Amino acid sequence: MYGALEVSTSGLIAQRTRLEAITENIVNKDTILDAAGNNNPFQRRVVFFAPGNPAAATAAGKAQGVHVSSIEQEPGFELRYEPGNAYADGNGFVKYPSINPVFEQLNAYEAGRAYEANIAAAEATKTMMAQALRLLA
Amino acid sequence: MFIQELTNSGAIPSLELMARFAGARQRVIAHNIANLDTPDFRPLDVSPQEFQKALGKAIEARRQATGENGPLEFKGTDQVKVAADGTVSLNPSTASGNILFQDRNNRDLESLMAQQSENVAVFRTSVELLRSRYAVLQSAISERV
Repeated sequence: MYGALEVSTSGLIAQRTRLEAITENIVNKDTILDAAGNNNPFQRRVVFFAPGNPAAATAAGKAQGVHVSSIEQEPGFELRYEPGNAYADGNGFVKYPSINPVFEQLNAYEAGRAYEANIAAAEATKTMMAQALRLLA
Repeated sequence: MFIQELTNSGAIPSLELMARFAGARQRVIAHNIANLDTPDFRPLDVSPQEFQKALGKAIEARRQATGENGPLEFKGTDQVKVAADGTVSLNPSTASGNILFQDRNNRDLESLMAQQSENVAVFRTSVELLRSRYAVLQSAISERV
C-alpha cells in the first residue's frame, strides 16, 4: 500500500507539471518578442507522459506510476496584418504565438480532473493504511 | 507452536490473504489512475473473482484436511502469487474493450473509481473481521492469565 501512495504521488506531480505548462501557454499567448527583442513569438509547450516512475525508490515503484517523458515546444505562429506595429515585417505582418486560449482552458480542466482523481486514489490508500494500523491498537 | 495455531485458526489466514490481495490491487488501481492521460496506455487489472474462486478452493481443501485450524495452502492463480513469507505479487493483464480515445488510451474513469471503492470496501471488511477475530483471541488470553 505504501507503493500505492507513491504511484498516486507520481500522477499528482505529472498533472501539476502539465498545469504549469498550460499556465505558461496562456500567460504567453500574446508574447511576440524573444529575450533579444526580436519578433520571435512564444512557442506552445506540450507535456508528454509515459508509464513508470524513474524517480521511485523501489523496483516495483519504478515500474508503476507515471512520469513526464518530455516537454516539447510546438513550432508555429500566426501572422496578423498590423502594418502600424513596430515589429511588422516588410509586408505589414507580425508573428503571434499559435495558442488557442479555449483549447488551453479545456486542457487545464482535464488536468485538474485527473489531479483530483489521483487525490481520490491517495485518500483511498490512506484510508486503507489507517484501517491496517487499527489492527495494532 | 501454540501461537501459530492461534493465528492459523478459523478465518484468520483467509482474511489476512484477502487484505493482502486488496492492498496489492490498490497499487494497480492507483497506477491506472496515474496514467489517465498517458498516450497508448491500457489500464491493467487482476480478476478478484478468480482470486476468490482460488481462495474458496484453498479454504475447502483446508477444511477437509485439518478441520478449521490448519495452515491455508493457497495455490495462487495466473495473476496472483503468494510467496512463502505471505507477500502477494500480482501479474495484472490488460482489459480489452472500451472505445479508444484519440491518444490511444482506453481509460474509463468511472469504472476505475468503482473498482477502487469496491477494493477499499473489501480491505475494510477483511480488516474489521480480522480485528474481531483478534479481539476474541485477546479476550480468551486475558481470561487465562
